[in-house]
Amino acid sequence: MKDRYQVKVEQIKQVTPQIKAFTLSSETAVDPFGAGAHLTLHLPMGDRQYSLINNPLEMTNDYQIAVKKVSANGGSHYLHEHLEVGDSVLVSGPDNYFPVHLEAQHVIFFAAGIGITPFLSMMPYLSTLGKTFELHYAVKNVESCPFYEELLKYTEQVFFYSGSREEKKKQVREALENRKIGTHVYVCGPETFMEMVVDTTRELRFPSRVVHEERFRPAAKIRNPKPFRVTVNGGDELLVKENESLLERLLDEGYPVSYACRMGICGSCEVTVCGGEVIHSDTFLTEKEKENKMLSCVSRGVGEIAINVVETNSM
Amino acid sequence: MSSKVEFPFPFTSDHYEYTNNSSPLIPARTVTVSSNYVEEVRLKRKLLEENHERCYRSLPISLESQWETLLLVFRELATYEPEHFSFKRRGNTYVFTNHLLQEEETFVYRDHSSIDFEPLDLVGRHVQEDLIVMGDRHDGLFLEAGQLCFPSNWSLTFVLGMEFKTIHTPVPAIAEFIEKVERFITRIRPNTAWERKNWSITISHKLDTPLETYSDWGKLRYHVTKENAGELVNLRVEVQRLFRLPVTNDILFSIHTYLLPLNELVANDDWLKKFYTNVKTLPQELADYKGISLYKPELLGFLEKALKRRKIER
Repeated sequence: MKDRYQVKVEQIKQVTPQIKAFTLSSETAVDPFGAGAHLTLHLPMGDRQYSLINNPLEMTNDYQIAVKKVSANGGSHYLHEHLEVGDSVLVSGPDNYFPVHLEAQHVIFFAAGIGITPFLSMMPYLSTLGKTFELHYAVKNVESCPFYEELLKYTEQVFFYSGSREEKKKQVREALENRKIGTHVYVCGPETFMEMVVDTTRELRFPSRVVHEERFRPAAKIRNPKPFRVTVNGGDELLVKENESLLERLLDEGYPVSYACRMGICGSCEVTVCGGEVIHSDTFLTEKEKENKMLSCVSRGVGEIAINVVETNSM
Repeated sequence: MSSKVEFPFPFTSDHYEYTNNSSPLIPARTVTVSSNYVEEVRLKRKLLEENHERCYRSLPISLESQWETLLLVFRELATYEPEHFSFKRRGNTYVFTNHLLQEEETFVYRDHSSIDFEPLDLVGRHVQEDLIVMGDRHDGLFLEAGQLCFPSNWSLTFVLGMEFKTIHTPVPAIAEFIEKVERFITRIRPNTAWERKNWSITISHKLDTPLETYSDWGKLRYHVTKENAGELVNLRVEVQRLFRLPVTNDILFSIHTYLLPLNELVANDDWLKKFYTNVKTLPQELADYKGISLYKPELLGFLEKALKRRKIER
């Protein structure tokens, strides 16, 4: 996976009044990616992740993303208002925490709003492979929903939900009832929508390994982070300031901790906890693992903790 | 380049350690072309021809990853060894040229009718590496395809479709460790490669030592003496690479096997000393597993003689 590199904005398309699609290309060969992958954009206000929406099997040296304008001063505002064709953007990846599992006998996608984006690469990919799928899409208004034209290609497989929350809940349940073994479920959208779908799969006894959530947003961020002291490998004592992560401090001190997502998702930066209290805010470790491990990118100690860092590699 | 210069000597310390010892590989490479290329690729093809069922196995679910591997490896060869290989796309058709063997492969991507072998079986005929596809099935890594000509005492037929932890059951005292290794592999990011070296010993200069022909090569272990060890005993090193295929999210595992006769090894003082101390401190169960116990005294005797001759302190 490539570290930071520049890509050029080749095309900008207004998808809906709130959504723009950007085509990013490079003069050198860009890395292949899989359906469900995302690209990280390094913007002046910080890093932002966006799902790639092109078909991985038909990618011709460009990455496509779709961005919904959500706030007046965030990354999406910057992309909508300041980015023009010909501009350069610093990116890294692509990476994928939402891959499509080919062992699935049938796939059901649940999307709400802009949560449609990862499925825009998954649907053409599975179509090319001749695999069956269906999309259940919760939108405010069907005709003016994002990518309506694209979705018409799959008329038989797309089901729109635009009713009340109660109606949606009923429709989700009906969509999930009496499914055959081997059916996989993918869900992406606002937190409440994801919970509704995932809760329904639990009630209907879907095995958790066939239910895939786009855990795209970073894990719950610790509010008002406080500084804490760390003893490393029984020797060095470090101070992690309020505005830095344990991972950043360890890397600055020369500890060879591996890392990837920096969002508490991938588990690469795990360290062993030998003492002290830890506030975990990752979405990777199991409850049992949290007893003596932490992810140094997002989790923090309280007051004073002791950790062990393995010298050789990420194990 | 002589074979000794490129030999990937595996020992870094003066005693035996059991570690994962993987490191990231930048740029992310999956194969290496060494000076024995032509000879070893010819041997691979001969083995495939004579024993195809033993050397090539696949499950239907692996086909997408096989195509991805074919494209990846051909691209990699043309990018990093442009004097030996080229790879061109004309519309839907790809043409790979192997200048070392004066051969050309033409195919349409993902069109099975355009090639004579399965994609992994085809691309494997242009590299020295054994190639294994491990499907990442969310609840474990499963061996779903392999072209395996140079195994060190294992059988592809036996492990096809098996889960990673199960495959490694015969390795001594490994249960907890192998779980960590599997987790490590499941965390490898797309388009990223990791490399580790694994060593064992082969009696005779033979790359193909599958379980299926054990009766032919296994008995040679009884023939090692202090006198003939320099010629008969070879340090076998596997350079193993793990690469996350970005499109299917499966793992490509490549194994490049190198053999070095002890007579060549002992000519390097540092290698001699490290090899000697590692064999000496190797725990009994691992010596058994690697098949060394049968001739360990003879092997150590040979190495001690070499150390004395070269006036190296033990």
